[in-house]
Amino acid sequence: MTIECVNPEGLRFNQMKSSSHQTLETRMRPILMKGHERPLTFLRYNRNGDLLFSCAKDHTPTVWFADNGERLGTYRGHSGAVWCCDISRDSSRLITGSADQTAKLWDVKSGKELFTFKFGAPARSVDFSVGDHLAVITTDHFVGTSSAIHVKRIAEDPEDQVGDSVLVLQSPDGKKKINRAVWGPLNQTIVSGGEDAAIRIWDAETGKLLKQSDEEVGHKEAITSLCKAADDSHFLTGSHDKTAKLWDMRTLTLIKTYTTVVPVNAVAMSPLLNHVVLGGGQDASAVTTTDHRAGKFEAKFYDTILQEEIGGVKGHFGPINALAFSPDGKSFSSGGEDGYVRLHHFDSNYFNIKI
Amino acid sequence: MAGSAPEGTQFDTRQFDQRLNEVLDGQDEFFTSYDEVHESFDAMGLQENLLRGIYAYGFEKPSAIQQRGIVPFCKGLDVIQQAQSGTGKTATFCSGVLQQLDYALLQCQALVLAPTRELAQQIEKVMRALGDYQGVKVHACVGGTSVREDQRILQAGVHVVVGTPGRVFDMLRRQSLRPDCIKMFVLDEADEMLSRGFKDQIYDIFQLLPPKIQVGVFSATMPPEALEITRKFMSKPVRILVKRDELTLEGIKQFYVNVEKEDWKLETLCDLYETLAITQSVIFVNTRRKVDWLTDKMRSRDHTVSATHGDMDQNTRDIIMREFRSGSSRVLITTDLLARGIDVQQVSLVINFDLPTQPENYLHRIGRSGRFGRKGVAINFVTLDDQRMLFDIQKFYNVVVEELPSNVADLL
Repeated sequence: MTIECVNPEGLRFNQMKSSSHQTLETRMRPILMKGHERPLTFLRYNRNGDLLFSCAKDHTPTVWFADNGERLGTYRGHSGAVWCCDISRDSSRLITGSADQTAKLWDVKSGKELFTFKFGAPARSVDFSVGDHLAVITTDHFVGTSSAIHVKRIAEDPEDQVGDSVLVLQSPDGKKKINRAVWGPLNQTIVSGGEDAAIRIWDAETGKLLKQSDEEVGHKEAITSLCKAADDSHFLTGSHDKTAKLWDMRTLTLIKTYTTVVPVNAVAMSPLLNHVVLGGGQDASAVTTTDHRAGKFEAKFYDTILQEEIGGVKGHFGPINALAFSPDGKSFSSGGEDGYVRLHHFDSNYFNIKI
Repeated sequence: MAGSAPEGTQFDTRQFDQRLNEVLDGQDEFFTSYDEVHESFDAMGLQENLLRGIYAYGFEKPSAIQQRGIVPFCKGLDVIQQAQSGTGKTATFCSGVLQQLDYALLQCQALVLAPTRELAQQIEKVMRALGDYQGVKVHACVGGTSVREDQRILQAGVHVVVGTPGRVFDMLRRQSLRPDCIKMFVLDEADEMLSRGFKDQIYDIFQLLPPKIQVGVFSATMPPEALEITRKFMSKPVRILVKRDELTLEGIKQFYVNVEKEDWKLETLCDLYETLAITQSVIFVNTRRKVDWLTDKMRSRDHTVSATHGDMDQNTRDIIMREFRSGSSRVLITTDLLARGIDVQQVSLVINFDLPTQPENYLHRIGRSGRFGRKGVAINFVTLDDQRMLFDIQKFYNVVVEELPSNVADLL
């Protein structure tokens, strides 16, 4: 029999009852990061885990110290909502994709804008390749332009940077957004997911479509988010169909499904434990006109193997749009429609969860 | 209070419905029918650069009012559009205006009026953002700022003026703002703009505008007396109205605290202070003097608060608003100056330290939390004298206001 142990900050983890029942000795008070004036869209830690980058609809990606949540700086230059970002391995370069129809390269340290890739449609997703020589960028459909996946070469010297695409992959349904595209193992493939609910694996050299998720076991509605395992062996997708699914990165075999009760806007995988986190909530346009209890803006933790929910973290008063684990697995961050980034450092109880 | 209506009648449901039916019944020839719904911005026939601006703003799908309201406005029709707080009315009329401007003509072609300087500045910001790719020139023409600067900007030429009635009328009177090319006239928070306080100013401005002009009126509340007045200056408007008992936002949890006596409100507020500061809160009181009083009391108890009301100088008001928007300050005490329209991302709690004297302002006040995509909480401080009014509010808007639970922090 499990009992629910609730601490005042809203963290809830199941624990086995026993004669040596352990009480929560430390408080896992989340750090509230205030700086964005509009909804969050994306969160990303750098490789070392000391910096956290956030994107929002307010045009200004922001970088925070990941231990105490203090704001380090902002990147000013976009004139539209910023949907996604990525950081190079050495933390020197930031790439951002924006609804202003551009993706931009920045110097992380100085905040200087290094280059602008111009598209004829909003830029939705960005991802650096291993080695940071390439970036994959997705664009939405817009007035006669189909949604697409672009591969750009990233020059070591910003002076040498050009905007040409090495490769452009066209979506089978040009009117469906490609919400996320990331590099596969060894940069040999690109993995994409979007509004048509299909996951695709493309050959990054030839652009050939290699694999597509099986309709029977795959998502039934738009895929909103995608997160790779640290070793690139598998990845997790979140969907409006209220599930997240774990896939093998090479074979595109479905491994696990995690079922919740609300659309999933964001997913994250712990690099340390066999845990995945789902975040979401009802559609933003319906939040204010439906009963308060319908929100369900918790980040939900699941055991990766057993597919069972092991707990939740409350706090946001709007849908969760972004989730990320720190590279060491000891903390995670969530970003919401409410404009807040919440940073949670796990305490020892989290690492002693037993089912 | 001398001259005030007898207690309770302001929220008389039967009387409201009867007056509304009188205005609407048998008036079908006064209104235009328009039933089209457009489920994506792409389907609305908007200019490419306006679409670019809409998507760049971060919009992806139109809200309910936008699905119905943008296209008739774009077609040059007069419109009356009512929708719940925080559901996208501003973007609706901004899109309608931006679609119809002649960008090659650097003359004022659209005039948008709002009841407060803060709201006018907010609308101007949205208008400029949505119209960025079209190269729109929009100016906020509000009181408390440099008249000379306004004159200089207006004479240099703008496409849209968003303003408050007093300054706009002054600019028209001085001929710094020339009405010759104005073809769109928008009233935001229209029922307030057509109420006793503003009505004469609106009439004065309207008389200076060209005879053939498109009129759009927008508000979350549209009482029958406001609808009645629109008949005087609108031509067969398309109307989108919401029933009074469907106006409240279910996503805003509403509570009351029985404080019994006026003197005990302050103590109750101090008890709640730690909860207030978790995210951002707005505390509404009914008079400017009381804003100052409450601010002093809270600060004397070492609680950090900021305050704003209509008697403060504009520079101070602007600073307060900027600090609150950016999150530098967390708790804002104000009057109904900020009851309408103001959109601050992280406001999740509204406290009615005093219940509002105008019925519509109850909805507007609590609508400062629970903005698009975010839940909210509203707490009403109720004295023995207020209990009847709270009951009437619940009945009028078909809402349930529960007693405040002890764990209110969990709801934020």
